[in-house]
Amino acid sequence: MLSVISKNRRRERLTIQNTNFHYYHIATAAFTALMLSYGQDLPALGLGMGDWQAHGFASQAYTLSSNYNAYGHSTRSGSLDFTEIGVNVLGHIQPNLLIAAQGLYRNAGGSDREGLRLDFANLDYSFSLGKQATAGVRLGRVKNPFGLYNDTRDVVWTRPGVFMPQSVYFDSLALRQAMIASDGGILYNRFAVGDHALKTEFVVSNPLDNTGGAAEFLTGIPNARGELGGRPLFIGRMGYEWQEGRFRLLFSVVNLDRDFKSATPGVSSGNLKVLYPLASAQLNLEDWSFTGEYGRITAERRGFTPGGVTLENTSESFYVQAQYRFTQDWSALLRFDSFAANVNDRNGKRSAALTGLAKQRFFSHDLTTGLRWEFAPNWLILGEYHSIWGTGLVSTVDNPDLNQRSGPERWDLFSLMLSYRF
Amino acid sequence: MHAFVIAWFMVTVTVIFWSKPASAANTTLVPYSIAKQYTNLTRDDLREIFFGRRTRWPDGSPLRVFVLPDHDPLHIRFSKEVLGVYPYQLRSVWDRMVYSGTGVPPTVVESLEKMKAIIKETPDAIGYIEK
Repeated sequence: MLSVISKNRRRERLTIQNTNFHYYHIATAAFTALMLSYGQDLPALGLGMGDWQAHGFASQAYTLSSNYNAYGHSTRSGSLDFTEIGVNVLGHIQPNLLIAAQGLYRNAGGSDREGLRLDFANLDYSFSLGKQATAGVRLGRVKNPFGLYNDTRDVVWTRPGVFMPQSVYFDSLALRQAMIASDGGILYNRFAVGDHALKTEFVVSNPLDNTGGAAEFLTGIPNARGELGGRPLFIGRMGYEWQEGRFRLLFSVVNLDRDFKSATPGVSSGNLKVLYPLASAQLNLEDWSFTGEYGRITAERRGFTPGGVTLENTSESFYVQAQYRFTQDWSALLRFDSFAANVNDRNGKRSAALTGLAKQRFFSHDLTTGLRWEFAPNWLILGEYHSIWGTGLVSTVDNPDLNQRSGPERWDLFSLMLSYRF
Repeated sequence: MHAFVIAWFMVTVTVIFWSKPASAANTTLVPYSIAKQYTNLTRDDLREIFFGRRTRWPDGSPLRVFVLPDHDPLHIRFSKEVLGVYPYQLRSVWDRMVYSGTGVPPTVVESLEKMKAIIKETPDAIGYIEK
C-alpha cells in the first residue's frame, strides 16, 4: 500500500536545482528567450510562484495514396506535407489564475497553408464550489470545446491516430479553421459526487472564419472574397463522466450565424447559419477503449443566389472505433468512419444527377487499421492504413481536377507519423 | 500500393502476436510518509489533486504535485490502488490540459529518491512514495 505524503512548509522561493528539470530548463529558456529577456528571470519578475512549465511537440508524417491526393501530393512517391509543431508555456500567476499560450506551426498540404499561428493564449480563473465542484472562466484565444477530441486535435499524442476521423473532425473542408480556436470566453464548471461527474462548457466568441478559406466554404461560392461578421459563435458541451472518464457521454453543439459581406463583383452578400450537434460516447477499459461519435451539420445559406432562394442542407457524420493497448507501449486501432454530404441522399445518386458530378463526391466511408508505438520515452511512431470508398472528404485544393475527372470510387491511403515531445 | 497494403497487414499481425502482455510488478510496497499534516485526504480529494483540478491547499497555499514517469511500476500502482484509475486516464487528462491551455499537470520526477528529495525541499508539495 502506498501512502500520500505532503510537506507544507513556509513559503519560500521554489529552487529548481535538480537535473530532472533539465528539459524544463531547455524548454523554458528557448521559449522565453523569444518572449522575454531571460528565462530564469521569470519568477523574479514578480509573476508569483515561479511554477511554470513549457512543453512542445514536433510531428512529421509521410503519406502515400492511390488515385487521389491527401495531405499534399501523396500519389506516386508520397508526400511529406503533413507537419505539426507546437510550443507552449503554462503557469499559475495565482493558485487559481492560470495563463497559457501555444504557438503552432501546421502544414497539411492544400487543406492548411496557414503555417505559424497563435493556437491559444488564455487566462483562466477558477474557483472551488465545494470539495468536488469547480467553476471558472477562460478568456482570450481559447480552444473550442467540441466532441471528444477537438480541443487538442492537432497534437498526435492526444488523438487516436495519424489522421482524425474525417467525418466528424474534417481537415479538408475550409470550415476546419473556424472549428479549432476562437477569440472570446468560456464559462465552465464541473460538479461531482463520488465517481459521477457532470461537466458543462459554454463558449461565446468570435470565430476565426476569415482565415483558411472559410468564407468560400461557408458561402459555397468558389473564390469568394469578403468579410464574415455578425453574431458571435456559440458552442456548448455538456457531459457525464464515470470514474474520471472510464465511461463518458458528451453532447456538443456549435451554432454559427454569420453575415457575409461580399468583396467580389457579381457575388452578392448573404447570411449563413450552421448548426452542428454531436453526440459522443466512450468506454475506457484497462486494455480496450471503445469510442463512437455521431453528428449532423445543417447549413442554411441565404441571399447568395439570384432570386434569394434559401439553400438548406444537412450532412451526416459518424464513426465507431476500437483501440487495444496490448502492451504499455503498443496499441492498435480499428475504425469505421462515415460521411454523407446529404443525409437524404446517402448514396449520392440524386446529388450526382443534380450537379453532374460523380456520386462518390457526396459520401466517404473509411475503414482504418492503425498501430501506435511509443518506442522511447516521449517518442512516438504511428502507422495506419485506410481503405476509403468515396471522395466526399477529399481536398479539392490537393486535387484541383477532382470535379472534372472520373476516378475510382475506392482508394487507399497509408500514413506513417513520427513525433517527439517534451 | 497493393504491396504496401499487404506489407502493412503483415506488420500489424506480427506485432500483435509477437508482443507479450505487460507483466505486473510484484514488488511489495509498504506504507511510508514524511509529513502527516494532510493524512486524511480521501480518494476523491486525491483525484481532485492528481488530475489537476484542485490547485490550492485548504489554507490557500498553492499545491505543487509531483509524480513518477508513466511507466514506473510505482506510478501504475499509485494510479490503480490509490486513485482507482488506469495510468492512461491521468496521462490523457494531463495532455489535454497542456495542449489546450487549461491547466498545469504534475511535474514528473525520475525516481523515488528524487521524489523524496523534491518533496522535502519544495513548499506545499505533494507526491507519493513507497512505504
